[in-house]
Amino acid sequence: MTVPHVTAVAISEPPRARAGGFRTKLLVTMTLVVVGVTAAGLVLSERNLTAAVERGLQREFQAELAALNQAQAIRHATLTERCRALVRKARIQSALEDNALDLLYPSAKDELRDIVARPGEAVAAPALRALFYRFLDRKGALVAPPKSAADVGVLSAAEEAGLALPRAPDQPQLGYLRRAGEDAPIEVITTPIASTETGEVIAALVLGFRPLVAVPAAPAAAGMKRALWLAGWERSTPLSTSPAAVSAADVQRAVSAPVRVVIDGAAHLVLSKRLNADSLYPAAYEVCAYPLADLFARQRALRWQVLGAGALVLLAGLTASHFASARLSAPVEKLAVDSEENRAQRVRAEAALEQTAEELQRSARFSADASHQLKTPVTVLRAGLEELLAKENLTAEECQQLSALVHQTYRLSSIIEDLLLLSRMDAGRLKLNLAPVDLGQLIEASLDDLGAVPDALDLRIENDFPAALVIAGEKRFTSLILQNLLENARKYNVAGGRVRVAAQVTGERVVLTVGNTGRGIPAAAQAHIFERFHRGGMGENVPGYGLGLNLARELAQLHGGDLRLARSDETWTEFEAHFRLAPA
Amino acid sequence: MKLRVLLVFVVMATAVAQVGAQATLEGRVTLPKATTAPVVNQRYEIVSKGGVIATNPPLAVVFLVGDFPPPATPPVAQVVQKGLAFIPALLPVQRGTKVEFPNLDDQFHNIFSYSPAKRFDLGRYRPEERPIPSQIFDVAGLVTLRCDIHEHMRSVILVLDTPHFVMTDVAGNFRLTGLPPGRYTLKAWIDSKTTREHAVELKDGATVRVDFP
Repeated sequence: MTVPHVTAVAISEPPRARAGGFRTKLLVTMTLVVVGVTAAGLVLSERNLTAAVERGLQREFQAELAALNQAQAIRHATLTERCRALVRKARIQSALEDNALDLLYPSAKDELRDIVARPGEAVAAPALRALFYRFLDRKGALVAPPKSAADVGVLSAAEEAGLALPRAPDQPQLGYLRRAGEDAPIEVITTPIASTETGEVIAALVLGFRPLVAVPAAPAAAGMKRALWLAGWERSTPLSTSPAAVSAADVQRAVSAPVRVVIDGAAHLVLSKRLNADSLYPAAYEVCAYPLADLFARQRALRWQVLGAGALVLLAGLTASHFASARLSAPVEKLAVDSEENRAQRVRAEAALEQTAEELQRSARFSADASHQLKTPVTVLRAGLEELLAKENLTAEECQQLSALVHQTYRLSSIIEDLLLLSRMDAGRLKLNLAPVDLGQLIEASLDDLGAVPDALDLRIENDFPAALVIAGEKRFTSLILQNLLENARKYNVAGGRVRVAAQVTGERVVLTVGNTGRGIPAAAQAHIFERFHRGGMGENVPGYGLGLNLARELAQLHGGDLRLARSDETWTEFEAHFRLAPA
Repeated sequence: MKLRVLLVFVVMATAVAQVGAQATLEGRVTLPKATTAPVVNQRYEIVSKGGVIATNPPLAVVFLVGDFPPPATPPVAQVVQKGLAFIPALLPVQRGTKVEFPNLDDQFHNIFSYSPAKRFDLGRYRPEERPIPSQIFDVAGLVTLRCDIHEHMRSVILVLDTPHFVMTDVAGNFRLTGLPPGRYTLKAWIDSKTTREHAVELKDGATVRVDFP
């Protein structure tokens, strides 16, 4: 029995190891979760910050430009009204309609006197005083002013060429004109002049203004740069020392979403908006570049904050998990240990069972072999003895001794027979062929045999059983049960005693009782009387070898019934055998 | 109306006096469709669309182009200002005609023209102004009259190089009489951008029919 012991020692360690593994897994999982949450928080918070900053800048930029747009719209409305009034003037109308464009400027001189700033004049609102005016004819071409006209504002030929349009516009057009040697471009507003009669556009008035500048109340960020972007030409604070820093493509992309551009080696967020949407003049953009250094600094600070928070959470989590896992894992550990012990016990039990089964098998096989080996010599012995007995020259004493020896050989055969039967049953090789057996007939025959045996005890035999008593059994073995019980009842009786055999049907079963007078079986021995080779402390003067009851019980069980001791006291011992009624 | 009839009569009389032989031209000018609903009171106005000046409802001036001598004495015609409008709105005249512009409204008018054929500015004047302000139109072409005070007022004087001209009725019918025999080109002015022409040979006492498609 060393194997189960070794197994028990071997499996006493793994449960602890496994419980430890569970704790490690718990810690690793918690760490991973905290790290994951921290990383996600880091990414999300950075994205949020960037988005918030971009949104803020975008909103501010749009708000400023909205104010600018509003100012422009008001100016457009004013100028449109002015042009409507202009065209109502008969002389201007005449000059335009009667092919007298040379008279246009002289005719308009008086009408436009208040709108054009005189050179050197200090004006309260420069944005509403034009620097120059020109007319476009119905085809959008410039109507050249007469040489003498000084108050139309001086423009170079190239500048004048920039005012012309592919056609006379239906709507006011906003354009920007570069002037050599000037930082700021001139805002050009070309307002259509429509015929009062037919409504068709017959000309356009071009006015040049100092640009309206959207001045931010408070700059959104230090170092913010703004510029008007006009085909690569920039005004105000230059976006960069290198004019190519912001490409046309970047400017156009920045209209829909902020674009990151590196200007002078530093990242900037560039926003832009077209100032003259739907204009026939070349596109002009208000471009704003915000340095991202501040955003990056805030991102860095935020990153450290999130990382710090993550580390704190991780630390707290680890501490908490240490205690939590200790509490959690204790029952789990116990469970693991318990289940391991259970398993070990089961293994042990199974091993023992197997061993027992093997031993049983071995002993059964031994009994069977031994019985066979014994039967033959006993038969030879008996034949030899009977041959001796048949000799004539034997004395009476010799004859008696030989007869006793022959008797002993019969006893030996009987034992061997029983052992053989038992060993067959043990080996599971005995199968009864159950058939209807008349129990009453069997009892009568057995009682006859009992009566025929010469006996000194002078027993009285009683019986009580119904006439037809058919049970399920195999006659040979049913008879053996009955014989064993009657044999015992006779053997352990007292002189002048009695034997009582009774049988009755109880439901599906038949109960056979065999009782006898006698000393009874001691209480201590009653539990062992069905064990093999047990003789219940009977004296040596009683013949028997302790196999009968064991055999009877096992046979009764093979009949689907049982055998038990019903009663045993000072005067009466009674066995009770159960059988099944034969199926009708 | 009386004035116009009188004017035509004067012009005709002049023509007849100059030429002894007589020929007649008559026919029909296919006129464009009216751009607006026909004016009920038979008045017509000058409209300018896409730089093209025409009358509404459309009328044509039919005139005979040839080598005619200038008038001995300048003919005189009138464009009056009445009810804040020029009457007539379209006046054909022979080159060299003196056109008077009497003001029949009880307020100022200021007639001027920026047209290349005749640029002038009569300044502001009231009905009492004497002599009646006038201009001699000595260059053939179209002259647009405007009033500097009333920008809606518009009139056209068509200065022609011939004494033989007539305005069609609204259906486009015309008739020119007292024409000298010979080979000519008959023209029909429909608007400032459209003039149709047709070669004609006139014989003494004969009536020739010319239809402008």
